[in-house]
Amino acid sequence: MRTLLRFFQNYSDLLLFLLLETIAIIFIVQGSSYQRSRIIGLNRQVSGYLFSKVDGAREYLSLRGANQQLVNENLELRNRLDRISGQMDSAIVISKFTEPYHYFYVPSRIVHNSVFKQYNYITLDKGKKQGVFKNMGVISDQGLVGIVLESSNNFSTVIPVINRDFRLSVKIKANNYAGILQWEGESPLYAILTEIPFHLEILQGDTILTSGFSSIFPEGIEVGTIESFSLDKGNFYDIRVMLSTEFQRLFHVNVIRNYRQEEQQNLEAQTR
Amino acid sequence: MYILARNIVRFLVVILFQVLLMDNVMINGYMVPYVYLLFILLMPFETPRWIQLLSGFMLGIGIDLFENTLGMHTAATVLIAFVRPYLLNLLAPRDGYEPETFPRIHYYGFLWFLKYTLIIVVIHHLMLFYLEVFQLKEFFSTLLRVILSSILSASTIILSQYFVFRK
Repeated sequence: MRTLLRFFQNYSDLLLFLLLETIAIIFIVQGSSYQRSRIIGLNRQVSGYLFSKVDGAREYLSLRGANQQLVNENLELRNRLDRISGQMDSAIVISKFTEPYHYFYVPSRIVHNSVFKQYNYITLDKGKKQGVFKNMGVISDQGLVGIVLESSNNFSTVIPVINRDFRLSVKIKANNYAGILQWEGESPLYAILTEIPFHLEILQGDTILTSGFSSIFPEGIEVGTIESFSLDKGNFYDIRVMLSTEFQRLFHVNVIRNYRQEEQQNLEAQTR
Repeated sequence: MYILARNIVRFLVVILFQVLLMDNVMINGYMVPYVYLLFILLMPFETPRWIQLLSGFMLGIGIDLFENTLGMHTAATVLIAFVRPYLLNLLAPRDGYEPETFPRIHYYGFLWFLKYTLIIVVIHHLMLFYLEVFQLKEFFSTLLRVILSSILSASTIILSQYFVFRK
């Protein structure tokens, strides 16, 4: 007994160190994406408030870039409008537009963003009150950004393409073949496209679009272009995709609300 | 008492400074200066070891909460809080540390502080970055990130000695 006590006395610091280190490791191992998002939820109100204060200053300093982004988006929208008004002339198409909204866009501002980590997250200044809920898609004027992970009343966190937990079904524009987009944690500029079978012919520079299979994103939102590919993993290509969104300079994004998401998911659940 | 109050204030300031300001400084999209280690570096020599460990733990949790990296900073910070006393012994001048002094450039000179900071920062970054990747596949690309980030963190910490903690 005496020796045991003396042992604890002599090594108390080492034991404390091991105890604390174990707690930290348990945090890491147990911290699945879900738990991580819960913890973020606890903290989101505080940090969201702090980040939005600081962001005021940051945004002022980067007005130039933000303006440029808005100008680009305007231009793109005007082009799209021209295209649509051309189609409007044919009466058949018009019936499509008399239906209620299918997709609705909530413009939001990024208040916190990280790009250099393995598990990056983005915080937006819109939440449940503004109609942003879990599992909604997020895009920018440049293309795909990510998916809403959790939302509180006035803030929400987004899991962007550049997070190791991100998965999304996307397709190659040239042949409409769908694969899975994910990120391997190397550079915020590139992601990996897998599950494209080797017999397909693909070219460097091919455009990658969202497939529309997930009910989160509409079909045909730009994701990026093929930078390079190799065939080292058996029957599938290993494709390196250059992302069209520059995550390092992102200020404004749009959250996509799909009014038919619930309907589609219910139907799919029934059939399963 | 005065020293305790000063350390508590420093604890809070360092966390806020890190998450609000330093996390927005991204160089090359890869590297962030982790200046919050200053708190551990500047703790008084005679701080009991269990206090060093516990404050390292709390500091890590504070940073983790803001960075959404549950446990990673905690593990790395506790490690350096544990290593620090041994390192201080190793780096001690011939006649030991004088009472009423702190581990700073002001008392022990640039070269001593550079060695001290670099070793602590490298240990911390090694632990942090490899925990983050959690695999050996990208061993060398991670090592490169550790080296570059360590240089950045260490130089920011040393610069802060000249501007913020001059005396």
